[in-house]
Amino acid sequence: MTTRMMGAKVARVEDDRFVRGHGRYVDDVAPDALHAAVLRSPHAHARIRSIDVDAVLDLDGVHAVWTYEDLAPLAPAMGEPLPLLIPHPTLTHGRTQYALAKDEVNYVGEAIAFVVADDRYLAEDALDRIVVEYDLLPAVVGIDAARAAERLVHEDVPGNVAARMEQANGDAAAAIAAAPHTLSLDLEIERSACMPLEGRGVAARWDTDNGRLQLWTSTQTSTGVRAAVAAKLGLDLMRVDVITPDVGGGFGVKINHPWPEELLVPLAARLLGRAVKFTEDRREHFISSAHERGQQHHVEVGFDDEGRLLGLDVRFWHDNGAYTPYGLIVPIITSTQLLGPYKPGAYHVQFDSLYTNTVIVTPYRGAGRPQGCFVMERTMDAIAAYLGKDRTEVRSINLIQPDEMPYEHGLTFQDGRELTYDSGDFPTMLTKIKELVGWDEFETFRAEMAAQGRRVGIGLAAYVEGTGVGPYEGAHITVETSGKVKVATGLTTQGQGHQTAFAQIVADELGVPFEDVEITTGDTRRMPYAVGTFASRAAVMSGSAIHLAAKKTKEKALRIAAEALEADVEDLEIVDGVVQVKGSPGSGIGLGTVAVLSNPLRYAFDEASKAATQFNVGDPTKPPVAAGEEPGLEGKDFYSPPRSTFASGMHAVIVETDPLTAEITILKYAVVHDCGHLINPMIVEGQIHGGVAQGVGGALYERMAYDEAGQLQNASFMDFLMPYVTEVPTSIDIDHLETPSPLNPLGIKGAGEAGVIPGSAAFAAAIEDAEGFPITAMPISPSQLFDLRAAHHA
Amino acid sequence: MKITGQNTIAAPVEKVWESLLDPRVLVATIPGCERLEETGENAYAMTVSAGVAAIRGTYSGACTLSDLVPHESLTMKLQGAGAPGTIDAGVAVRFERAGDTTVLSYDADAVVGGMIGGVGQRMLTSVSRRMAAEFFGNVEKAIAGVLPAAPTADAGRVASAGDRVETRGETPTVFAAPQRSASDDRSFLTGVAVGGALVLAGAIVGGILGRRR
Repeated sequence: MTTRMMGAKVARVEDDRFVRGHGRYVDDVAPDALHAAVLRSPHAHARIRSIDVDAVLDLDGVHAVWTYEDLAPLAPAMGEPLPLLIPHPTLTHGRTQYALAKDEVNYVGEAIAFVVADDRYLAEDALDRIVVEYDLLPAVVGIDAARAAERLVHEDVPGNVAARMEQANGDAAAAIAAAPHTLSLDLEIERSACMPLEGRGVAARWDTDNGRLQLWTSTQTSTGVRAAVAAKLGLDLMRVDVITPDVGGGFGVKINHPWPEELLVPLAARLLGRAVKFTEDRREHFISSAHERGQQHHVEVGFDDEGRLLGLDVRFWHDNGAYTPYGLIVPIITSTQLLGPYKPGAYHVQFDSLYTNTVIVTPYRGAGRPQGCFVMERTMDAIAAYLGKDRTEVRSINLIQPDEMPYEHGLTFQDGRELTYDSGDFPTMLTKIKELVGWDEFETFRAEMAAQGRRVGIGLAAYVEGTGVGPYEGAHITVETSGKVKVATGLTTQGQGHQTAFAQIVADELGVPFEDVEITTGDTRRMPYAVGTFASRAAVMSGSAIHLAAKKTKEKALRIAAEALEADVEDLEIVDGVVQVKGSPGSGIGLGTVAVLSNPLRYAFDEASKAATQFNVGDPTKPPVAAGEEPGLEGKDFYSPPRSTFASGMHAVIVETDPLTAEITILKYAVVHDCGHLINPMIVEGQIHGGVAQGVGGALYERMAYDEAGQLQNASFMDFLMPYVTEVPTSIDIDHLETPSPLNPLGIKGAGEAGVIPGSAAFAAAIEDAEGFPITAMPISPSQLFDLRAAHHA
Repeated sequence: MKITGQNTIAAPVEKVWESLLDPRVLVATIPGCERLEETGENAYAMTVSAGVAAIRGTYSGACTLSDLVPHESLTMKLQGAGAPGTIDAGVAVRFERAGDTTVLSYDADAVVGGMIGGVGQRMLTSVSRRMAAEFFGNVEKAIAGVLPAAPTADAGRVASAGDRVETRGETPTVFAAPQRSASDDRSFLTGVAVGGALVLAGAIVGGILGRRR
């Protein structure tokens, strides 16, 4: 019997390619391509008085120079604003930018002109010769300025408010008014960004002979880009192929689409009849991709003597940047996922999504959850401090219990479905995290450290994460006559190890050797129906679809083999790629042969096909392909769940703060994680490690240093700090809990974003515990901690 | 970005004011300044070319002047743009007599944008101060007669040292910098801090206009 692959620590097979430098990214394709460069606004808010491109027109090696005026004549829809991808009824004042700015720019970095030249050097030199005259307008930078609304980002958007949304379960105000104790908190998280090491990139080739567009892009949604490009360029969908090769990190930013360059590059390729490529540089990524995280929150909470949440009222302000292409996904997630594993008696939340003259905001790994977790967990800690109780006691009393699952919160989640937790065991998780971090022994440790003049603190944070959002994913499996199994799913891969994890699923269900399974993702030629890789959904959605498609493939293989072997389907099994009578090795036929038999042939070209020709196989009295059957050993299926499945976790951290310098050092980091059944624990742990690293960044380092004029002052890796391996805990203690999801056949939940979510909340708690004063804003640097000490001891 | 600083020039305030208002001196002493051109009442255009490595290019600037108090103070507004970035600045410049020397202080509030704003930001303040010192050192030398005055002009008439600058004619007077030897072009930092250079240059252009009043 073949060893079961699901749940095994299978080493990632793709890493051999990556570590040898054999990855193939967008910039590696089409080496003969012309190169594009984009002129970007140096001003945060300005009217464009004129653009003079005359000095570029006659430059040798320049093939095209476009401004807004040039676009509509090339493709009418290019004169319209970029799509608002996720509309929402409360997004009353949604605005999106144009592919190239029309009349006005609203952030430093907004695209104004586009040049195609022989190489990037020439293209950038050409940009230098374009003269733009601006009338400067006052910039709105930061949430305070947006809320004050003394200046407007968009003239026709009063108060800078793109959307105001409200949700409630029960009467929170009344519950708070009647509560024995109340607290108010103001909590803030700063702006940050995903920072994948590979920036955006797009290459396009127009096949003039066949009238087809082939587009490579570093995206999290090939099908999304395909649809957008077809619509904007006025092409039939069936004439557009979008291929996502290896992607050097996504982390959310690459789910937004189409970026201006994803439209301009194929437009240029079609017009010029040449391959064209755009590769974003680092500074461009800082100022023209997307950011996230910036939010201010006000909490009113009412609770009883035990710390039980009676009423929770949260008002928050979300900085959505200059435009809203991705709708309200981030603040909606904050407003719902803030609840974590807890069940307040009544809950009310209201947010304003505000325009600022800064880079757009779209999801960054965690997508609003780090902010929500920070708000909820800071509230829990404040209640514990107020009541003089252990912080885990207050949490414990508020946890949703396993027998309350599925738990309905009475709210609507980001996918438009009810916020209903499918499963989870939060009390066990709390017990495990306390054990793992040594919660009950900490006071002894603190005393030991204090005796040495050292200052330490401990904190923990819990989260629940809606993963695997719909609407669907699909998979198509083909067994070749060689017995090799080719699997295609439409969503993309940006480091998740899909070749390994998905092959494990296929190997188990289809009974084939793991090595014989090849996975293709993000190629619309192989699977044109797909949504994308975001919201920790790939394993749940495509994993489930692949499982279902493998099941169908297996059923077909058994049907065909049963006839060939003159056996009953029920008596057959597939082991190591051979269909055999159960328990009788040596009696069967290989899946490759089954594939031959599945496809009756007229023409022979090798021994295998000779066996499948019409004079050799089949009942001459029946149609060669039976009614209801299709030729080929293939299986295709789709998975579309009723709602998201909710993963959960708790993190705890012990920090040391230097009494003199306020340097913050991580002494211990512990994670308990529940993403249902694990396909590959090694990959899940890798995801957690990466997430924790990014959480450390979010808590202690990453911020976007905008000045009052909207200039991003730290737009390079010299000044934007990300944790190196030296800043990430040397060991992260991980314990798993496996509470299967009832919503999908494998019982799995997503794991991609989890590690980053509770970072700021856990660090704030630990630093607060070490220092003895409240930490209400993250990230926090040693300088800020130093200043806080001075303020509190003054 | 706020840049404040102070430099002492070993010459009396009248002499410093006079020299700072002489465009031939300025074109020769401002790091990277190639051209000054009058564009109208209280308005001037200028070109500054500077840069090393990634942050390199030619800036076109325009400035306007106000609050002129001879031998005491002036205020200027400057806008400049070039491939490496943009600058939008207001600078208050004060002249103070200190015996036989002059203390010149500047107080700039600048928005530095584009690549230089995002990538070179953290070096701008310190480098600007350093360049200010370099510039005032050059002015001191010019007063002492060590540096040559700008020899050329184009478009209109040749302006020689000591001429009064006429601005009401049809053709503007343009001042061009003398060719500098490679060894003079020593400032790696000039490129990084070209925004700072523009602030200073703007202050000086203001001074030129001040002379006409």
